[in-house]
Amino acid sequence: MTDSQTMSDDRPRKTGTFFRRNKLAIMPLVFIAPAFAMFSLFVIWPIIQSVGLSFVEWQGIGPKTWVGLDNYRELLGDQVFWTSLVNNLYWLALFLLAPVMGLFIALFLNQNVFGIRLVKSLFFFPFVVSQIVVGMIFAWFYDPAFGLLATLLKPLGIGIPAILADENWATFGIIAAGLWPQTAYCMILYLTGLNSVNPEVIEAARLDGAKGWRLLVKIVLPQLRAATFIALVVTVIGALRSFDLVAVMTSGGPYNSSNVLAYYMYDNAISRYRMGYASAIATILFLIMDVYIAWFLMRLLRNEKGAR
Amino acid sequence: MADVILKNVRKSFGSVDVIKGVDLEAKHGEFVVFVGPSGCGKSTLLRMICGLEKITSGQLLIGDEDMSDVEASDRGTAMVFQSYALYPHMTVAENMSFGLRMAKTPQAVVERRVQRAAEILQITHLLQRKPKDMSGGQRQRVAIGRAIVREPKVFLFDEPLSNLDAELRVQMRVELSKLHNEIGATMIYVTHDQVEAMTMADKIVVLRDGKVEQIGSPLDLYTAPDNQFVAGFIGSPRMNFLKARVVSRTKTDVQVSVPDAQDHLLQIPLRAGAIVDPGQDVIVGVRPEHFLGTSAGHGLEVRIDVVENLGGIAYAYGKSKAGQDVIIKADSEQPPRSGMTVTAQIRDEYCHLFDVKGQTLSTSAGAIRGHEAAA
Repeated sequence: MTDSQTMSDDRPRKTGTFFRRNKLAIMPLVFIAPAFAMFSLFVIWPIIQSVGLSFVEWQGIGPKTWVGLDNYRELLGDQVFWTSLVNNLYWLALFLLAPVMGLFIALFLNQNVFGIRLVKSLFFFPFVVSQIVVGMIFAWFYDPAFGLLATLLKPLGIGIPAILADENWATFGIIAAGLWPQTAYCMILYLTGLNSVNPEVIEAARLDGAKGWRLLVKIVLPQLRAATFIALVVTVIGALRSFDLVAVMTSGGPYNSSNVLAYYMYDNAISRYRMGYASAIATILFLIMDVYIAWFLMRLLRNEKGAR
Repeated sequence: MADVILKNVRKSFGSVDVIKGVDLEAKHGEFVVFVGPSGCGKSTLLRMICGLEKITSGQLLIGDEDMSDVEASDRGTAMVFQSYALYPHMTVAENMSFGLRMAKTPQAVVERRVQRAAEILQITHLLQRKPKDMSGGQRQRVAIGRAIVREPKVFLFDEPLSNLDAELRVQMRVELSKLHNEIGATMIYVTHDQVEAMTMADKIVVLRDGKVEQIGSPLDLYTAPDNQFVAGFIGSPRMNFLKARVVSRTKTDVQVSVPDAQDHLLQIPLRAGAIVDPGQDVIVGVRPEHFLGTSAGHGLEVRIDVVENLGGIAYAYGKSKAGQDVIIKADSEQPPRSGMTVTAQIRDEYCHLFDVKGQTLSTSAGAIRGHEAAA
């Protein structure tokens, strides 16, 4: 061992280039850069642009006219906007049934019997097929002339209205259709969650005298917190951005009674060439979603800190 | 009193018989160890006692009460799992008190018992921690604490030490024995580690393929195994089995020659009722520690392949002339080297004799037999 290598030498070592010395600080930035660039270009920039568009009057081509907050003022007096907003709240409230139903289906399917894999995949099936197909299937299902629902209920003497053509029923008809794939999604989340629950913990709880409902609430559910969290987030976001089912099943009708913000925005932008007005709706929707996104991020950050 | 008695207990999963009729009695306060190779049904048997598995047929008595069909939580048993099975979302105190809270025990009683158990296990400072913030040894203590607070009639342990590192395992082994002396409850302990069985048990139950091979004290099993399987399973490193042939027999003794050591006729006393005829093929069992030195002279010539020197003890692994595997305890300060050929003298009084089906023919081996022979 030479003198310069002994432990008593506490001068900082100056070897290599600036990059080599600061590798630990630089490399994470290098790895993040591509994703950050794409995210900025395709997500953040369009958001800024679209918020900007909400202050102008624009037909998609031609000149943009600055109108300030006029688009928002118009929204306040727009009956369809309020109907859409209220419908979105219905979506939000009723969609929360999806995690609950998903949990119970998952608990039911979480057993080892012959053929359970097939049953599981059948339950997951609605999530795999396109939302458009789901919409079509339910539209036929509700059809008052030859639909399955009417055919089933007629012999029982129960007459039902043409659900998608009735202004009081249309929104709920679409939500029911939307719940089908959403429940399947939540079910899969819970099934994966249940997989990671140690069976010995459940056995220990059984020995401790926990059964049925108490076992579920005190032992199983707390261990599924991660799954519940994700299920809630995707369900809330799914409810707020509901669009395809509305487009396929009713196009917002009858008389805009089943409209939602996302579809109303699309309608204004694509059918009526009112880009500015559509952007204002989009901005409002974005602000509502921000509440949940903020909650999501806060929890995420807190968990990351807790993990350290 | 909480004796555990199993009467012809059986368990089948569909058409597969896992436990094929077990009769067993664990007296109050006894430390009983189930031991056997993996898949022998020892864990299943334990789970049947605590009620996690249904008993297909037969009877289970705990403290004179028939518990065969009683709910798991009402049997008065508490189980410590291999994975500890702590509730990850609860603190140590909540973990330990969960069972009592489920049984609606008054708050004051719960607190007192948790405090007491924590003191016994020296985990008082951990009571507010969550399982994920603790080491394996600490979690193990909590799991034991969870069993203690329920004040069960019978403690059940399912390979509780196998997830711990070697040093901690030795320490916990001693502490579990101490705990048993302190609490004095019946404990049933499952392990595949025969060292744990030998060191902790009052009574060892050796299981194979869902059947009891032998029940007895550790020393009984060591000196007088009922068959070749028990002889090979108890003791580490395992007993050497050498092919041999009966030369002659008297009323009480038999003379056996081992082909690899023909110059030495072994004199082995027979069990009552043992059927042996001259010329019959038999198996001689000798534990590694019962060869006499590695000096030259009469005995078994062994070519050494590998030597494991543990400092205090050394074991030499080799092959005899006829190609039989032999393990010999050797002098650790002057161990033989691999490639060497040594002569191992067989000590008659420590030999076991088995017939080709594995049934024991000889009496209990050891110094006692030597004294009897001298007398």
